[in-house]
Parts: sequence; structure tokens; C-alpha cells
Amino acid sequence: MALLEINDLNVSFSSYSQRTQVLRDVSLKIEQGQRVALIGETGSGKSVTSKTILNTLPGNANVESGQVSWRGEDLLSKSDGERERLKGIEMSVVMQDPLSSFNPVFTIGRHLEDVLYWADRRAGKRRSRADRVTHIHDVLRKVQLGDPERVMASYPAQLSGGMRQRVLIALALMNRPAMLIADEPGTALDVTTQDEILRLINDLVTEVGLSLLMITHNLGVVRMTADYVYVMRKGVIVEHGPLEQIFDNPRTDYTRELINAIPPLYGASVKDQPVSSEAPLVKLEGVSKTFTRRHLLGASDHTHAVRDVSIDIPRGEIFGLAGESGSGKTTVARMVMGMMGATSGKITVDGMDLSAQKDGRIDRKLAQIVYQNPGTSLNPKRTVAQTLDVPLRFAGLDATDRAKRTDELLELVNMPRHFAARYPHELSGGQKQRIAIARALAADPKLIVLDEPTSALDVSVQKRVIALLEELRSDLGLTFLFISHDLSLMRNFCSHIAIMLRGELVEQGTPAQVFADPKHPYTRALIAAVPVISTEEEAAKPIVTQAEKQKFLVSSAA
Amino acid sequence: MSATSVSIPEPDAPVILSARRMAWLRFRANPVALIGAFMVITVLLCAAFAPWIAPYPDHAGNVIDFANRHAAPSSEHWAGADKVGRDILSRVIFGFRVSLLLVVGVLGVAVPVGAALGLCAGYFGGRTEFLITGFTNVMLAIPPLIMALAVGSVLSPTLINAMIAIAMLWWTWHARLVYRVAKSVAAEDFVEAARLAGATHWHILTKEILPNCIAVISVKTTLDAAFVILFGATLSFLGLGVRPPTPDLGSMVADGRQFLPEMWWGVLTPALGIFYATLGFNLLGDGLRDMFDVEV
Amino acid sequence: MHSTFLEFLLRRIVGFAAVLLVLSLMIFLLARVVPGDPARMAMGPAASEEQVQDLREEMGLEDPLPTQYIRFLSGAVHGDFGTSLISGRPVTDEIMRVLPATLELVLVTLLLMVVVGLPLGMMAARHRNGWVDTVLRLLSMVGVTMPAFLVAILLQLFAAYYLSDWPLLGRIDRDLTVPDGPTGLLIIDGLLSGQFAVVLSALQHLAFPALALALSGIGQIMRITRSAMIENLRRDHVQTLRSFGVPDRVVTFRYLLKLSSVAPLTILGLEFASLIGNAFVVEMVFVWGGFASHGLESIMQNDLNAVMAVVMVSGMFFVLANLVIDIAIGALDPRLRLKEGR
Repeated sequence: MALLEINDLNVSFSSYSQRTQVLRDVSLKIEQGQRVALIGETGSGKSVTSKTILNTLPGNANVESGQVSWRGEDLLSKSDGERERLKGIEMSVVMQDPLSSFNPVFTIGRHLEDVLYWADRRAGKRRSRADRVTHIHDVLRKVQLGDPERVMASYPAQLSGGMRQRVLIALALMNRPAMLIADEPGTALDVTTQDEILRLINDLVTEVGLSLLMITHNLGVVRMTADYVYVMRKGVIVEHGPLEQIFDNPRTDYTRELINAIPPLYGASVKDQPVSSEAPLVKLEGVSKTFTRRHLLGASDHTHAVRDVSIDIPRGEIFGLAGESGSGKTTVARMVMGMMGATSGKITVDGMDLSAQKDGRIDRKLAQIVYQNPGTSLNPKRTVAQTLDVPLRFAGLDATDRAKRTDELLELVNMPRHFAARYPHELSGGQKQRIAIARALAADPKLIVLDEPTSALDVSVQKRVIALLEELRSDLGLTFLFISHDLSLMRNFCSHIAIMLRGELVEQGTPAQVFADPKHPYTRALIAAVPVISTEEEAAKPIVTQAEKQKFLVSSAA
Repeated sequence: MSATSVSIPEPDAPVILSARRMAWLRFRANPVALIGAFMVITVLLCAAFAPWIAPYPDHAGNVIDFANRHAAPSSEHWAGADKVGRDILSRVIFGFRVSLLLVVGVLGVAVPVGAALGLCAGYFGGRTEFLITGFTNVMLAIPPLIMALAVGSVLSPTLINAMIAIAMLWWTWHARLVYRVAKSVAAEDFVEAARLAGATHWHILTKEILPNCIAVISVKTTLDAAFVILFGATLSFLGLGVRPPTPDLGSMVADGRQFLPEMWWGVLTPALGIFYATLGFNLLGDGLRDMFDVEV
Repeated sequence: MHSTFLEFLLRRIVGFAAVLLVLSLMIFLLARVVPGDPARMAMGPAASEEQVQDLREEMGLEDPLPTQYIRFLSGAVHGDFGTSLISGRPVTDEIMRVLPATLELVLVTLLLMVVVGLPLGMMAARHRNGWVDTVLRLLSMVGVTMPAFLVAILLQLFAAYYLSDWPLLGRIDRDLTVPDGPTGLLIIDGLLSGQFAVVLSALQHLAFPALALALSGIGQIMRITRSAMIENLRRDHVQTLRSFGVPDRVVTFRYLLKLSSVAPLTILGLEFASLIGNAFVVEMVFVWGGFASHGLESIMQNDLNAVMAVVMVSGMFFVLANLVIDIAIGALDPRLRLKEGR
């Protein structure tokens, strides 16, 4: 008998008498001890599936037909109370966002103790408080949190993202459940931390003999953590099979597209961007930036966000700046844009010294930016045409020229003309990013800063947006400063890359050089942590020892 | 099964509704808001067409009818008559005029001023923010009623002075609210993008940030209408409002109070009038808040 | 780690001092510049020009404005607001005499607001969109929309018809001797001196004024608590605890209560100014004889020294209340204590 079996599940959402079907005849099976991945892009219904299993669907959801069986018993016909009792004992979940998963005004220990106390109550066990604390300490050590006492006394905001993710896993393990549901674990974290977390989950699954349902959009994660794969798209399971079959011999075009959309890290299909021989457009010489926070009491805090960075960005190149959160890459970009002055050092853009500019603002014709989050980069109250109108109007164009140019811009980013009248909420994430690119182009800049422009998009959409950017660069002769933490994307998209760690530049060169022979141990650790989709790529990654890794993990474990 | 391609059923594309249509659907689905809207509209109509609606239009003035002095509610005077025999219902209907005049006067000044200050504080930050929020916080510390009383007694207790006194403090609430929203909107990428595109501060304030504050401002303004009516009634109850014989809900309650508990209708009808108007604006504001899904 | 909470508190105290300073300047300007001649206003039109001139000199009105302001401010810092223009006694003495009555009323009102408003708001949130919620929301709205003076009058009217023995005016029965206690608060002094009749009578007298004063606050707190709870119920951490099997009621009453009481407390602080304002009306209706009644009298009689003192003392009340609330919020929310305070 399968541990979990879903048969022909149909779920719909209704709002204001509108009904949308989100799951269509979904069937899925997890055997005892099996590791199953459910993969899909935004809106595929993968999270709705896990919510149906866990009975945490929102109020406007309606399970129309189908069964969800746990050890042969239908869950959907059980009462809420009976289903509650299964949680924590039989199945546990690891959530996606480790910060919002904790109540900010209670300590981590309070959360852990309460969960354990109620789990004991349901299991009919009696344990003293001291026993509970000992048990919690054991579990915390198991998830590699070295100082359980400190962790328990901390408030959620006092721990790092990686530590919180570990605590979440500890919560899930509190009662040796039979199955672990992992909903995009580590997605919100840095690559190296994410890698650690995935390894931890994998180890635990083998060690404890758990079944695992891994819900993710990342094929690399799937390869690491699953034996059997279900591919979902728009509420339908389009394909399923053992891991090797899905990766090596996909049956549907959709899965094939999904796999092909992933930029390769190593191998024959890797693309090398041409290197420009022109003079640099942007020059950074020994640039540092220090932030100072003044306190009413005690001394001021100084944060050295960027330390002694020197970069040349040749005209017509795509210069990649890689690094994890807090590495200073965004600060560098803001200084290049002229939105922030450097504490020391010199920045020149197109031969102009930025420090000589009035209040640090540079001419909009020099640099523009495309932001990471498509949700906040467009004003929700303004149409596409109104958004594109702003740079044109302030460049002094008259109304007819502006209308003409708006049409041209839409055409440049491959958007139909009638989209001009739409509001941002009527656009998809990829379309919003295209408009953001069009807005950047409208000012006719020499340099465009791309601040992780595709990290919020699905891989298939990312592929098309990246193709558009490449096309624009060659057609319009633009220079890009590309900021990202996605190394496999940078390998294929950049002509030069520089890697930053805690405000310092640790390595730079062409991607071919850097990836073939990473010099700095941090670069090696970073590359090694990238989830890849083939064994060949895995083998080509640099080998990093545990000791080296620990050196650069930003306090993800205690 | 062929190894090349398997057809995938294409599910229905999600229907995207326009923002306006969504808002209307939400509004229509909310009976509270509809009742509130109805109540507000009746109050507005009463005020606008008082001379045609009131059973005794001339009782709004200096009429004396001693025969009906303190007349109890009857078919002739549905809500009874006051100490000089005037029809209370007619006076309540006319009383809405003064209340609404106060609302327009106070909010007409307080909302634009508060919104403008809040916008500037939220967008410019730095010293501007410090000064405006600091000043707002000082003004919030002054009890508005005491301020109105002080102004009323120092100058003279008229409707205009009451309006000035209330407006002097009322803007603080709007400044606080708009500041909060504007500050979070100003931190969004699209504001920075507009700045990088060369947009002027004026453009950013009025075209980028303000449209995102309109929902909160309109909800707050609707709710405030109720509080201004309430506040005005309190002032005129204390004798700082319109001069007699102009009908005013607060002073009618004060007049009627002298003859409690026997002639209860002298208090109850104007009280119901106040209650009806404030409840209407409150229900409408509450419905709008749900509709726009904003925190006010 | 810096002791950011201490820093946060210090910032607030500096801010509150600034509030009082600016408030003093405003009320000073209002009192000295706007009305023309305060002495003439105090004496009335019947007084002769010499009498008025004498008073002007006595009040120091002949000095330049900055000198007058500094005199007013340094007096205020020492608790000296000059003498009443009407009674001739020190303004501070008169205020201290009536302050306990209002303090007692306001404290009981605040207690009532929190004790009634918070649980009802939570109840509404727990049963949101059900009939309990609808009824409670309507009740809170009635509370918010009814002006305090109307509630006061309606309560009196109700008592007149149905509770004919219930005392409606003043703080205490006339035939009881008021205990000479240290606080001036009848309930506490009564308890301290063991005169339970006094306590009972004081409570009886307090019931209606406090209810009239509290009603709108109860409504506000209910509303804010409800929306804060609903907002927090949507949060991921609620889902986390639930999906790990912590029962609903524990999640609501332990985890969310603490998180959701920050917003209503903040509102309570802000509403304090209008609470003091409403106390003026309610005290008048119930002939309470407190600070507010005194203030209303001073305002009506154009006793400018007293008016200035009344405004300053109200401002101080507001500032103190908000300081206490800030400390309470800091105790509730570790983010204020641990992270960067603003």
C-alpha cells in the first residue's frame, strides 16, 4: 500500500461568483521511503496540491472530486480534527519562507516547546518539561545547530535565514513523521546555504527513513533530492516517471522545454559571449563605501559595504557582478548609477567623474536600471503608455513623437501595441519585465544596470527575457551591468564576471576562465553549490572540502 | 505512447478583470456599504432639498407657535415640537445643512493640507520628514475639543471659528496616514525609476505617489465626515456653534436636555438625526475600506 | 548589541519634551497675540481703564513677548502657571484640587476600554463574517458614532426611567464624608481607609460617566483589535503552528493576542487627546467637578492663565500616557527591544 495516494483530484477556487479550476484530475503516489518531487512553474498548482494534503487550503477553495488517501484511508472524508491529529505525527511540512514562518514576538524555544507539547498530547505521551527541552536540544543538534540553548532563547529575527530554515526542519522532525513535505525549501536563501539545507534534508531522509514530497520549481533541486518526478503545468500532471527518465528522455514538449530552459553550467551547450576590445565605459578605481549609523548612546556603527573595488566595464559588454546577499554588489550598482556617492575611490562613466556631479545624480542618458521585482518596478496606478511616457516627456519630446516612440519601444521588447493601454496587474511577470526594459531603453542610455532582472521569473520566461536582452545589446550597442547570484545564468550571459564576498572583489575574468579554473576558494564553493541537472555537470564542478565551505557560509549554522 | 510528443489538455485561461470592475463587484457584494451609501445619500438629499422635504419649512426660522409648545409626537408633528412649538422633524432636516457645511468646510481644508504634508514628508524624507512628522505629533497632543473651545472663547463662538479650530487640528490625521502610505510607496522601485528617468519631484508626488494614496484618503475622508458631524454637534451642544434660530443638531439636544426626562422627544429626535448621519458615513467608509482593502 | 530599546525610549522622551515645548509656545501665542487685551477680557467691559492697566502691569503684559514667554515657560516647568484672573488663587492649586476626580474617571475609562474592547475584538476576529462578528461590528460602530454627550444624556434618561435610585450627579453621595487619602482617588483612598461605603458609592457614581466616556474607545479598540487579528491570522506563522498541530485556540489566544495588542495600544495612545476632550462634555453632563469641568469654566470665563494651564496639563497627560504605552509596546514586542529602533 502506498503511503500517500492522490486520485483524480479536482480543486477549484471561487471568488465573486467566478470559478477557476486550479487542479484537474491530479493523481500522485508516494511509497514508504520514496523521495518524490513535484515540479512546476508559477500557477502550476503544486502548492495547492500540498495544501490539499495538509488541509490548509484557503476558504474560497473547493475540493470538487477525488481522493487523498493516507495509508489507505481517505483523508478528505475525515473531520478537520482527525486530520489535525495526523499533522506532526504522520506528516510534517517545511515551509518556504523561514522568517514569516515564526511569530516575531515569541522565542524560537516557545515555538518548539509548544509544537512538541501538543504533539505529545495527541500521541498520548507524557513528558516533563526538562525531558522536552532535552529532546528539542537533540533535534536541533541533528539539524546541525550547534548551540541549541542560544537558538531556543532567540527571537526569530535574531537568527540568520539558514538557521531559521534549520529550525523549521527541526520542527518538522520533532516527532519522527513518516513523510516530510518540503515546499521550496531554501529558495529565499543564498545558493551556498540552500545547498547545505538540501543536503541536510537528504541526509535526514536517508537516516530516519522518511518519505519526501519535494515541491519546487528548480530542476537542479529535483535532481538532488528525488527518485521519482511529477511535472505539473496549469493544474495538470503532464508527465511523471523515475528521475532518469524525466531528465534523459522526457516524453512531453513541455518537460523538454523546461529542461532546455536551464542554462548549463558546464558542457558543450555552454555559450561564450564575445569579449569587447573597446575602451571601458565604466571605470571603478579603488572604490569603497562605508555606511554609518549614529546612536544616541554609545559609538556609531560602521558597515563597510564595499571595500577597494576596481572594475573596468568595456563598451558593449555584459559585465556580471556575482555574490550572495550582503556581498555589496547592489551597493556597487547604485554607485555606478550615481544614486549613491562613494566614500573613497573614483568612478567614471563615459569619461565623466561621478563625484564631480551635482548631488551625485548623473545624466539619465548615461545609465538606467531594470529591477529585480516585477511587482514593484511598475506603478500599479499607471498604464504601460503612461509609464513609458515619463522618460520621453522629461527628455523633451512632444506628444506625437512620444506616441510614436512608445510604439517603437513596445515593438523593441516584442510586445503588441495594444498593451499600451494595460495596467500592470493585467500583465504577467515576464511582460512586466519587458515593460521595465522598454522604460530603461526610453531614456536612450549607454549603460543599463540589470539588478537580477529574471530571478523572480520562471525559467522558461527567464530564457525569453534573456534572449531579448542579448538581442537588444547587439542591435542597439548597449552595455549591461548584470547583477545576480545565479551563476549558471551568468556563465552563459556575461562576457566578464566579477565575484564579490563581504564587500570585496575576490575574483574576476571571463566566465570561461573563472568556471574552468576558479582561483579563490569562495568562487569554488559558490560554483559547487549551484544545483545542476546532469551528472556530467556535477562531475565538472570544482571539489570543495567541508572546511573550506564552512569558512564562507554566512552563519547558517550556529 | 509516442516518444516525441504527448498532447496536454489546455485549461481555461484565467479571466482578468479590470480594477474598476473588481472594486464594483466587491462593493456590491457588501450589504453594509450599500446601506451606508443609502443613508449618506438620504442625508445629502435632506440637506439639499430641506425646504421641500420638511413638513414645516418656515420652522427653520424664528417661528413661535405657543399652542404647540412641547407638543408630543403626533400625526401633526411626527417628532413632537420644541419649547416654542416648532416642528422638531423639520428642524432636524434643516440641521443636516449645518452639519454638512461643517464637514465640507473642515475636510475641504484639512484633507488637502494633511495629504500634501504627508506626501512631502513621506517622499522627501530627511529634514522635511523630521519637521513635518514632528509638527504633526505636536498637534496630535492637543485635545481638539479643548482647542476648539479655546479658539471659540478667545475669538467668538461662531460656525466659522469652530470650523477653523477643528481644521487646525484635523489635518494631522490625514498627514499621519498619507505619510505612512507615501513613505512605503516612495520606497518602491517605480518611484526611483521615475526619478532616474528625469521626472520632476512634482510629477513624482502627483502622478506616481498620490494615485496610490487615493484609496486610503477617500476611506479616511468618508469616515472623517462622521467624526466632524459628531464633533460639530458636541461643540454646538456646549454653545459654540451657529447662533439661534438656525437649526443645529447639537444645540437642539442642549435645548431639549433642559426638559428631560418628561419631554424626551426634544432630545431623542435630534440625537437620532446625529446618529443616522454619522452611522451612514461610517458604514459607507467601512464598506469602502473593505472594497479597497486598505488599512486606515 | 546596543541597548536599542533604551535608545528608543530616550528618543521618545526627547520627542515628548519637544511636543510640550511647542505646545507651550502655541498656547502662549494664542493667549497673548490673538485676543488683543487679555486683561480687558478678564475684567469685562465694565472695568475702568485704570483697573485694566493695573492688571496689565500685574500680569506683566507690558514686557516684550519673548520675556513673557520665558517667564511663562520657567513658571510652567516649576508647576507655576500664575494666578487665576477670576478667583485670584494660584492656578496650579485649583488644578491640583480638581485633578484627582478626572484622573479617577480617566483611569477607570481606560481600564474599561481595554478590558471590554480587546476581548470583544478578538471574538469578532475569531468568528469573522459570522453573526457574532456582524453583531459586534455593528455594536462597535454604534459606539464609535455616538457622541459622548449623547451617550451621557441617553444614559441619564435611561436611569431616570428605569433606575430611579441610581445616583446620576457628582462623585459621591453627599452624606458620606470624603476620606482624606493620599491619592485623592476615592476608590483607592476608600479602600486604604477601609470605608467600603465610600468605595461602593464612588463606583456607582463612576459607572455611567465612565461608560459614556469609554464607549467610543471601546468601539475603536474593538475595530483595531479585530483587523489586527485578522491581518495576523493570514500570516504564515499561524499556518506553521497549525500545520504542526498546535490547536487553534492556543494559536489565537497565546500567539496572536500578544502580537495583535500592539496596534490597539498605539491607537489608545493617540485617542488619548480626544478622550480628554470628551471628558469635558461628560463631566459637564454629570456635574463631575473635575479638571475638565474646571477647564470648561475657565474657558467660558476667559481666564487665560487658567486656560493655558489646562491646555498644558492636558498635553502632559497625553505625553505621559503615550510614554507608558511605548514602554508597554516595547515589553510586548521584542523587535523594538532587539533590532534597530526608530
